[in-house]
Amino acid sequence: MIWEVFRQEKTGRYHTHCGNVHAPDREMAKQFAAIQHGRRKPTNSLWVVPREEIGEIDSEDVAFGGTTDKSYRWATAYNTTGTDASEVVESEDEQATAERQRGDD
Amino acid sequence: MDLETAKERAGPREFSPADDLPEEYRKAATRMIEFHANSEIMGAYLERPFIRQAPSIDRKLAFSAKVQDEIGHGQLLYRAAESLGVKTREEMLDDLANGDGKFLNCFHYPMEDWVETPMIAFFVDGAAMRRQATLRRTSWEPYAHAMDKVCFEEGFHVKHGEDILAELMSGSKKEQRMTQEAFEEWWPRIIQFFGPTDDKSTHHDFAASVGLKQQSNDQLRNAFLDQYIPKARKYGLEIPDEPRIRERDDGTYEVAEDDLDWDEFFTIAKNDYEPGLDQINGRKAAQEAVQWVRDTIEGDASAAGGHAPQAAD
Repeated sequence: MIWEVFRQEKTGRYHTHCGNVHAPDREMAKQFAAIQHGRRKPTNSLWVVPREEIGEIDSEDVAFGGTTDKSYRWATAYNTTGTDASEVVESEDEQATAERQRGDD
Repeated sequence: MDLETAKERAGPREFSPADDLPEEYRKAATRMIEFHANSEIMGAYLERPFIRQAPSIDRKLAFSAKVQDEIGHGQLLYRAAESLGVKTREEMLDDLANGDGKFLNCFHYPMEDWVETPMIAFFVDGAAMRRQATLRRTSWEPYAHAMDKVCFEEGFHVKHGEDILAELMSGSKKEQRMTQEAFEEWWPRIIQFFGPTDDKSTHHDFAASVGLKQQSNDQLRNAFLDQYIPKARKYGLEIPDEPRIRERDDGTYEVAEDDLDWDEFFTIAKNDYEPGLDQINGRKAAQEAVQWVRDTIEGDASAAGGHAPQAAD
């Protein structure tokens, strides 16, 4: 049985997928995950999820979008004058990063 | 976990649904997040008419995207609130419809003219973002996660609002005058966004002691004025004489609180302000008009049977 493993580095961060383990039950899956995915990188918590419990929908099933030009919904599309509030700058940076990564995955 | 332990442990993103938290914490967090969620929804309804009234296709697209975002923020926040186990999403939405749900003062006022849009989309959203950025360090983890996504999207709202303001303030004399008038009308309400002064705030101390709230009303109001007074001036807006605002030697601001209409503020806070009731009932009517959509999605096809489909507006 295959269990997908999600690792969280620090408390409050997101659990992100990091690999999988083969194990007969949840207890063993947790132990294997701790050994295989929690020893080299800083880890606060791990989730193990049976692969068959994961629902998937892919680009053959549905047109996901994200290909139309929607520049009007990005902060980067608007030129304003003067210093922006730090949180607005931060949001704009996050959006610019997301825009750059579009099509990378 | 008892309350003392919760106060000791309180830190950014410290508590999750896996923790057994004291009732006082769960109730205070529910109150705070439900208010925030309701405000997102009511703000979206206030701005929705301007999808139709937008003066250009670009503005229409952006306003439509923004309103969609705000409704999404409301949904994220109801989710963060219901994970506390005090109230369900349905209970919170019902309370909002029947006039028991509380929300931000600014969204109780009607908005009628296009020149008013930057008052919400730039100043109120800018104020909200100042506050929300601090809430990424709140102790209730699902709330902090919601803030991550909200702050990611909100930068577009603020900059789009600022772009409208820039356009209006470099437009005709009439546009500039009307924008200034709208600013004068909204300015005191915008300052009241942050609530009463610290010495009169009833919920702050507890929320701060368990890490829910990161900054006091006064700190946030100062941080807002510090950033947005120069912005307003840059676009040629004149700051009204009242409420009196004094800049201290250290660059922070002091607002003469007595110049603000606190009777109106607390009438609004109790959902007793007449124009605000129109906002509440307007949303209720829209919610009921599209009940057939929810029924259809939930698979109860017969429920939509006898009714002719309606549009929400």
